[in-house]
Amino acid sequence: MGEININNQKEFFKLISYMVTSARGCIDEPKIYGSFRLLDSICKLYNILEKKKLIEDDKLKEVINKIEDNKYNSFKNKDKFINSLDMIILDLVDLMD
Amino acid sequence: MKTIINIIKKRRSVRNYKDKKVERKIMEELILAGTWAPSGSNIQSWKFVIVDNNKIKEKIDTFSPGLMGNPPNLIVICYDKKLAYEKGGKLGRDELGKMDICMAAQNIMLLATEKEISTCPVKSFDDNALKKILKLPDYIDPVLIVTLGYSDKQPSPPNRKSVDKVSFYNEWGRLI
Repeated sequence: MGEININNQKEFFKLISYMVTSARGCIDEPKIYGSFRLLDSICKLYNILEKKKLIEDDKLKEVINKIEDNKYNSFKNKDKFINSLDMIILDLVDLMD
Repeated sequence: MKTIINIIKKRRSVRNYKDKKVERKIMEELILAGTWAPSGSNIQSWKFVIVDNNKIKEKIDTFSPGLMGNPPNLIVICYDKKLAYEKGGKLGRDELGKMDICMAAQNIMLLATEKEISTCPVKSFDDNALKKILKLPDYIDPVLIVTLGYSDKQPSPPNRKSVDKVSFYNEWGRLI
């Protein structure tokens, strides 16, 4: 692939590359990596949108912070990881009201 | 005290680095430690690519989902599968070459720990992308990335299974 004009959208390009590479990797990697990569992608996407001032929502930001704090538990403490995800899902349900 | 067991226990997988590169002279000392690892049939099919160029590092980072915390330095440990096969047969190519790399990586990480340099071994990367980025010949495969740098965030140690849960004397089932 030659040089493409990704300079203005470099972070999106990197996120897409991360997700495609993860999609390939997850076929052979431990199952829990899939959950981690999804959460990590959410954090990366939110950071891009925030930096570009395309999103601003304190409550959603709180949820993102919880995801960020919890994502490494996928490797360290599976039970804690699952419990935190369950709580985050309920937080998201509240946000829909 | 810097005894080997203390250094072994002190090593953590770090995913949060300061923006400060490790000097090349130190990187070469670390590689030297790697080359003193055991090697099956002494084939030494390992090759070490030190990456400290930001542009190349960013490319590798983009196609390595397991690489986290923006490390300033990488060592991509590769092996020469042609040499491993010529000298070690199928066993050399499929197993010994990769086992050697694991032992070399541990040497590198332990010496780094002694030098207060943080590390993390990373296997989640796309082989083909790395081969293209690093311009590796067909017969050279990337096996493991070791990230390196300085950090003031030392993760707490994870749980380890106790010796009596994982060891036996002489026969399976004869617990310590």
